[in-house]
Amino acid sequence: MELARLARAGDEAAFAEIMRRYSPRVFRFASRYFRRRELVEEAAQEVFLKAFTQLDSFEGRGSMEGWLTRITTNTCLNLLRSAKRRPELTSADLSEDEGDWLDGKLAGASAERHRASERSLVAADLAGRVLETMSPEDRLVLTLVDGEDTPVKEVAEMTGWSVSKVKVQAFRARRKMRKAVEKLLSYQRKKSDENLETAR
Amino acid sequence: MRDEHIFNIIEHAPPSGLSDGELARVHAHTEHCRECRHAFEAAQISQLLLRERVAETIEPSPFFQTRVLAALRERQVGGETSAFRRLWNATGALVSSMAATVAALVVLTVFAPGTAQTSGAREAVSAYDSYSAEEVLFDQSDATAAAAGDQMSYGQVLSTLYESDE
Repeated sequence: MELARLARAGDEAAFAEIMRRYSPRVFRFASRYFRRRELVEEAAQEVFLKAFTQLDSFEGRGSMEGWLTRITTNTCLNLLRSAKRRPELTSADLSEDEGDWLDGKLAGASAERHRASERSLVAADLAGRVLETMSPEDRLVLTLVDGEDTPVKEVAEMTGWSVSKVKVQAFRARRKMRKAVEKLLSYQRKKSDENLETAR
Repeated sequence: MRDEHIFNIIEHAPPSGLSDGELARVHAHTEHCRECRHAFEAAQISQLLLRERVAETIEPSPFFQTRVLAALRERQVGGETSAFRRLWNATGALVSSMAATVAALVVLTVFAPGTAQTSGAREAVSAYDSYSAEEVLFDQSDATAAAAGDQMSYGQVLSTLYESDE
C-alpha cells in the first residue's frame, strides 16, 4: 500500500520495487497464453504500464497481487483477441513427435521413445496448437480451470465475469477441446491400424 | 440412448474434478460404449495437454524493469507533446472550417467581377458616365451644351414637371 502511494506520487524507485516483486507472477500468468518470450514480455510490459496509469484506481482494499492479476487477465485477453486465430488444427498439421506423443497416450504411455522433458515440450507444443484454434475466452477459462484447477469463483473475480458465465464458458470450451483432440486421436488410431495391416 | 452416455459428466468438469461416483458411472458406461470411451480418453488427454502447457513458464529478463521504466518515461514525454494534438483533434474541424470561410470571403471580395471597384472608383465612373441622370439633368459643361443644343434648360424641365402634375 505504501509502495502504491509512493509510486502514485511519481516515485520511480517504488514502482520499480512493485515490478520486482510482482513481475514473476505476471510473467507466469502471461506465459500461459503466449509461448514466445517477446510476446510474454510485451504483455507484461503492457500490464505494468497500465498499472502505473491506473494506480489511482487501486484503493488498497484488495491485494495488489489480485489487482495486477485482473489487469494481466484483461491485457492477455485483449492481446489474444487482436492476434490471428488459426481456423482449425487438422491431423495433417501434426508433427511426427506430436503424432508419437498421441500414440503413446493411446497405448498407455508405454511406447514412447522420448525422454520425459522432450515429451513435455511436445505436449506443450501440441496444446498450444490446439488452443490457438479456440477463442481467447475459451483459452483463458480452460487454462485456468482445467489446466491449473483454479476455482471457478476465483476465475470469476479475475475476469469480472459471473460464476455462471465461467461455468458455461468452461463447459463449452471443454467440449470444443475434447472434440478437437478426439479428431486427432481418431486419425492416429486409423494410422496405427493401417501400419499394423502393412506389417502383417 | 443418448441420455445414458456420459458426455454431460465429462463436459461438466475436467477428469481430475470428477467425483468418485461420477468416475464410477463413467467407467461402467465406457466398458460397453466405444463412443464414450473415446470421448473420455480425449477428455483425459486434453487435460494432460493443458497441464503440460501451463507448466511452461517464462521468467522476466534482467532488463525487464529498465525497459518498462524507459517506456514509461517515453509515454510521459509523448503525453505532454500530445496535449496540443488532443486540443487540435477536439477543435481542428471548427478552426479549419472557419479559416476556409474567411479565405473564401477574401477571395470573393478581391477577385469576383463587379465587386472590385471601391466607392471612390464608382464615383469616378458615374462622373464620367454621360448617360447618368445627373449628367442629363444638371450637366452644364460647355462641351456638352454646345454638342446638345436641343437639351432643355432648368426652367423648361421644371415647367414640364409641373405641367404634368397639373
